[in-house]
Amino acid sequence: MVALARLLVIGFIVLTVIYLSLSLYSRSVRRSKLEDWWEEEGRPGEREAYIAEGMKEYEGSLRRKLIWGVYIVPLAVVSAIIYFTNFH
Amino acid sequence: MAFLKWGFWGVFWALVAAFFHYTLPQHDIARITDTYEKRIDFGENSIFWAAPDVGNATTASNRDVFFIQAVRNNGRVMVYRNEDTGWGWPPYFKFDTANLQAEAADLKSTSETPRWVSIKHYGWRNEFMSIYPNAVEVVAVSGPDARKGIPWLNISILIAFFAVVLGLWALWRRFRARRIDPVLEDIGESWDAAGDAVEERRGRIRRWLDTWKPKHKR
Repeated sequence: MVALARLLVIGFIVLTVIYLSLSLYSRSVRRSKLEDWWEEEGRPGEREAYIAEGMKEYEGSLRRKLIWGVYIVPLAVVSAIIYFTNFH
Repeated sequence: MAFLKWGFWGVFWALVAAFFHYTLPQHDIARITDTYEKRIDFGENSIFWAAPDVGNATTASNRDVFFIQAVRNNGRVMVYRNEDTGWGWPPYFKFDTANLQAEAADLKSTSETPRWVSIKHYGWRNEFMSIYPNAVEVVAVSGPDARKGIPWLNISILIAFFAVVLGLWALWRRFRARRIDPVLEDIGESWDAAGDAVEERRGRIRRWLDTWKPKHKR
């Protein structure tokens, strides 16, 4: 079980690093897009308020939830490999 | 310098190719002639052996390993080891070593009445280091000419790997063009400027020295 624990711990750390960088990157992309949209829409109202509202919308978006795939996809792949190698 | 650079990258890519050739699965069409187990004392070749069966002690310096003897469809013999990879590297997550040995033993045949199987394995056979490929799966096939199928898994893993490499390379090139090249150019320019200044000064001293020489030696 030591080997399993090692795999889980190292995997969790690596995937967390990927998850955090990916979500920060995605957030920054959305923010700069919002800045562009604000300009394109003819500067409606306060800039900060516009961006804050857009980011709030992003929080609930599918795109943000898809980043959980960083954890889910490897888990699914490992489960599939275990099944096909040993029980198929 | 160019020689060194190409030599370095040549060695690097040869190692990458060797790594994938060792780790990715391959199929052999073969006939299993026997199965056995042997006590192995791991030495210099210990890196080429996998793990003890999952759940067993990992600290022992030797253990019994299952082997599968086979004759390939090209007539040459091959010996596979049959070991758990467990939760470790390479990520085959193989736990069914004993079951595989039972399947392999069931598919044993003689040269008079051959039964052909496809043996999925990874690793190398090397007589000089006593290393063996690790069998992962044994499936009965119709005959020695059975198709191995297109290795989609290997193709997609290699494509993914090279996509990542190309991405990193593009990032590095962009980083270099933006951050490193301008600095190097700066250094180069000031270096040239310093060189010019020295040259000019030396020219002046030389001209002054020359005034002391007779006219025909200047």
